[in-house]
Amino acid sequence: MSSSKESFNQISPSEFFYRNRDLAGFSNPTRSLYTAVREFVENALDACDQAGILPDVYLSIKAVDDEQADPKPYILTVKDNGPGIDSKHIPLAFGTVLYGSKFGLKQARGMFGLGATMAILYGQITTNKPVVVKSSPDGQSQDEYELLLDIQKNKPIIVKHNTKEVSKRGLSVSICLEGDYSKAGAKIRDYVYQTSLITPYATITFEDPKGEKFHQTKIVKTMPLPPTIIKPHPHGIDVETIRRMMADSHFQIPTVDNKMIEKVRKELGLKKNNLNYSEIMEKASKRWPGLSRHVRVVIAVMSFLKMDFEKLSKIRIDDMDIANKILAYWDFGESKSVSIDLDPESEYYKQLTNTVQGETLISFLTKRFQRIGQATAVKFTAFANLKPEKRIGTMTNQELVKLSDSLQKFEDFLSPDPSCLAPLGEEPLKKGMEQFFKPDFLEVVQRGASAYSGFPFIAEMGIAYGGEIKSVGQTVYRFANRIPLLYDEGSDVVLKVVNEIDWTRYKVKNDAPLVIVSHICSTRIPYKTVGKENVADRPEIERELRLALQFLARKLATFMSKRGHAEMEKKRANLYSKYIPLVAQFCTELAGKKKEPDYKKMLKMEAMVEE
Amino acid sequence: MKNKSKKISKTSEERRESLARLLQEQGLKIYSELDRGEFPKFSVPSRSVSNIVYDKKLRQYVLGNTASIRSARNMSQLRSFAQLIWLAFFANRLVQEKKSSTLRDIYYSSQAFSIDFEDQPESDNIIVDLEAVLARPREDLHIFPEERSSVFGDLTIEYTVPGYEGKRTNLSDHPDGYLIGPSLSSAELVDTSAELVIAIEKGGLFTRFVEEKIDKKFKAIIVDTAGQAPRATRYLLKRLHNEMGLPVVILTDGDVYGEHIAMVIKSGSANAAHLRELTVPDAKWIGVWATDIEKYKLPTIPMTESDIKRIYDLQKDPRYQEGIWKKELEVFLKIKRKAELEAFSKYGLTNITDKYLPEKLEIAKSL
Repeated sequence: MSSSKESFNQISPSEFFYRNRDLAGFSNPTRSLYTAVREFVENALDACDQAGILPDVYLSIKAVDDEQADPKPYILTVKDNGPGIDSKHIPLAFGTVLYGSKFGLKQARGMFGLGATMAILYGQITTNKPVVVKSSPDGQSQDEYELLLDIQKNKPIIVKHNTKEVSKRGLSVSICLEGDYSKAGAKIRDYVYQTSLITPYATITFEDPKGEKFHQTKIVKTMPLPPTIIKPHPHGIDVETIRRMMADSHFQIPTVDNKMIEKVRKELGLKKNNLNYSEIMEKASKRWPGLSRHVRVVIAVMSFLKMDFEKLSKIRIDDMDIANKILAYWDFGESKSVSIDLDPESEYYKQLTNTVQGETLISFLTKRFQRIGQATAVKFTAFANLKPEKRIGTMTNQELVKLSDSLQKFEDFLSPDPSCLAPLGEEPLKKGMEQFFKPDFLEVVQRGASAYSGFPFIAEMGIAYGGEIKSVGQTVYRFANRIPLLYDEGSDVVLKVVNEIDWTRYKVKNDAPLVIVSHICSTRIPYKTVGKENVADRPEIERELRLALQFLARKLATFMSKRGHAEMEKKRANLYSKYIPLVAQFCTELAGKKKEPDYKKMLKMEAMVEE
Repeated sequence: MKNKSKKISKTSEERRESLARLLQEQGLKIYSELDRGEFPKFSVPSRSVSNIVYDKKLRQYVLGNTASIRSARNMSQLRSFAQLIWLAFFANRLVQEKKSSTLRDIYYSSQAFSIDFEDQPESDNIIVDLEAVLARPREDLHIFPEERSSVFGDLTIEYTVPGYEGKRTNLSDHPDGYLIGPSLSSAELVDTSAELVIAIEKGGLFTRFVEEKIDKKFKAIIVDTAGQAPRATRYLLKRLHNEMGLPVVILTDGDVYGEHIAMVIKSGSANAAHLRELTVPDAKWIGVWATDIEKYKLPTIPMTESDIKRIYDLQKDPRYQEGIWKKELEVFLKIKRKAELEAFSKYGLTNITDKYLPEKLEIAKSL
């Protein structure tokens, strides 16, 4: 090997990301500035959401040197009122790549908190300035760090650290990075505006490099219910995930050492007393329902060994051969290996087989997945052509693949549990839109939970018409997991659904001032591209969006016809007050009269009809 | 002669007065409806094709009994209702002040009274509505189209237009003839030595006829209809026939359109089915007939597709079911050729006046 000219070096994650920063959205100063803003703002909002705190997020972008032309260094600061980060975690959280806490199956804006570290890394390589992190989890003392990343070693370098007293809880992150605000500004402003729209429970402030300030005070004071972490849905699972789930549920025969014996004694309430074998067994069967699994296994082993605690402490279990029904152990006292037959008729035999071979397939399905009951599990095993009582510990690789495939294909599973989703809710969406657009007509709808490929999703939609909306034609705001999707809208499923609707059927002109807000939340949004700006047109999602839009359009149509009626009445009144006096004037001269006829009462009558 | 003119003068004055009464009646009706707090309305005879019927007795198209109510209550009719009452009001002023106006004038005048017509066709249409309501031609209301035709011959008229009241003119005083305009239309017809009216389709021939002194040779008043006769021209022809007792003969190109020009003078057009004042049922078409084309060996032009289609259309018209009207159409269809009045020039410029006209006038006596 030493003669080989090629050398294989392991690179650190920091190094990897440094070399592939384009992937994470840091390809040029314009895009990088925008991506950095997004990462920090989304982290701030996620942190507050998870802690159940109404977010108050402050974002500022300041040029280091106003006079310099773009691209140039900017200081980007994002401050929140969230739970902060424990001082001891800060260096690792902000000074290493791939250190995060956002794991688990539930909806969040970002996935692993990687983006923020990428932004810090990008800032460091373009300006060679440290990231400044100030955190106060308790609102009393604040830790301030200045950190640099050691890219090769993927380790934080603490440049400065101090602690001081403060009065506000929260986290502030400030980086210096090369950016191009003149090009990224519009996009960032759009992002902030739309984020405020979809986060009406947050106060968001943005000060841009030109000194312009955007400020949106929270419109609603209730937070959407936080999502919960849940078991996976069978449709959203692959072989590797199943293997891991099995390993999690796999249960080894516990080592029967002194510590374990103490535990058994304690659970049996025999801390002090020393009972013989049969007394122990009797006690155990009485207390069986309250015993922990470890203890039950030990008791089961003891039942075959027919030993008390003292004898038990002098042996070591070597093997449990369930297939041949043999239990082998090493007797320290006798210094020999002993094997005894296991009686399959014994009530403890089952306990041991369960432990060694893992649970049955039925049990695995019903306990490890969401929304699979006994009946469904049985039906599924028939479908998959697997034995319901098959122990998962004994499954071959082939059987695993078969299981995984069948889980994808079986159609009788209930749709995924949406409790891991956190839609905004109709009321907050409505209030937000009301505040933002001040329309004449506003309606919102939240569809019931649905799923595509095992991932639950919920579509929320709002429609606003007229009022202060001055646009010609419709404006569509798209959101996914409370993140605005700003660009690349051409092939987006929402746009597809909106464009396919025939507005004339709903008494809406094509140039009517219309705003449509669409929010899809899911544990996994099916983005079409790496840019995460458009959602793929999965039929299930398309259907939900279409139903939502049709519902809203019908409401709008009702409004339009009512309004059309009112407008007609108004037009009518206007026409009468214009023409009747003219008619009176003309016919007076024509009739050769001096005084005009008393037509005023007619106009009054008209007014009454109108009311 | 003096006696006759006085009687005529009274006729013209009577017409004006009855129109004034008619307008006032309409005004009073609407006035009292408004005063009672009711929505005023007009009954407007329907001018749709289904309501236009041929009256054999009157020998012209007339409107049937269908009428629509135009009410101020109906929002979609309110505007046109107001337009109609405005037009009546404006026409009343014109009549009272003896002023004349054109169709285009009406369109613009409306704007001074906050009555808005979208375009001239809209105002033209309202004028026809008012004609139908009053059963009077717009010329009576002193509203004239732009198109003008001419008249020449020994006819003395007395103007009634302001500034010319009582002034008399003889229509043979100017060799180009006199425009048949508002002042001539409203003038009293005083005296004539003529015994015949010759209506001719083309201005060129009209001039030839004046030059050849046809007015003297045949004791005729010559009228240039300038193609399809304008209503003022038809109105004059009618007056010459009714008030002065002159027979009317018509000379047109030898084609289906010429034949129909003659027919419109004789029995009106479907467009003016709501009016009864514009026809001369006794007028005679003397040429150029289809049979004349062969008889006089006139140079011809082949008919076009639309010419032939027009023949088929007219053959369905009740007025073309008998006499020369029917016969000539058939011949046109057979020869599929047509000849213009100028075709006679092949045999010399005066051939038409020297030879053709006398022969045709002779034949006319037996029509």
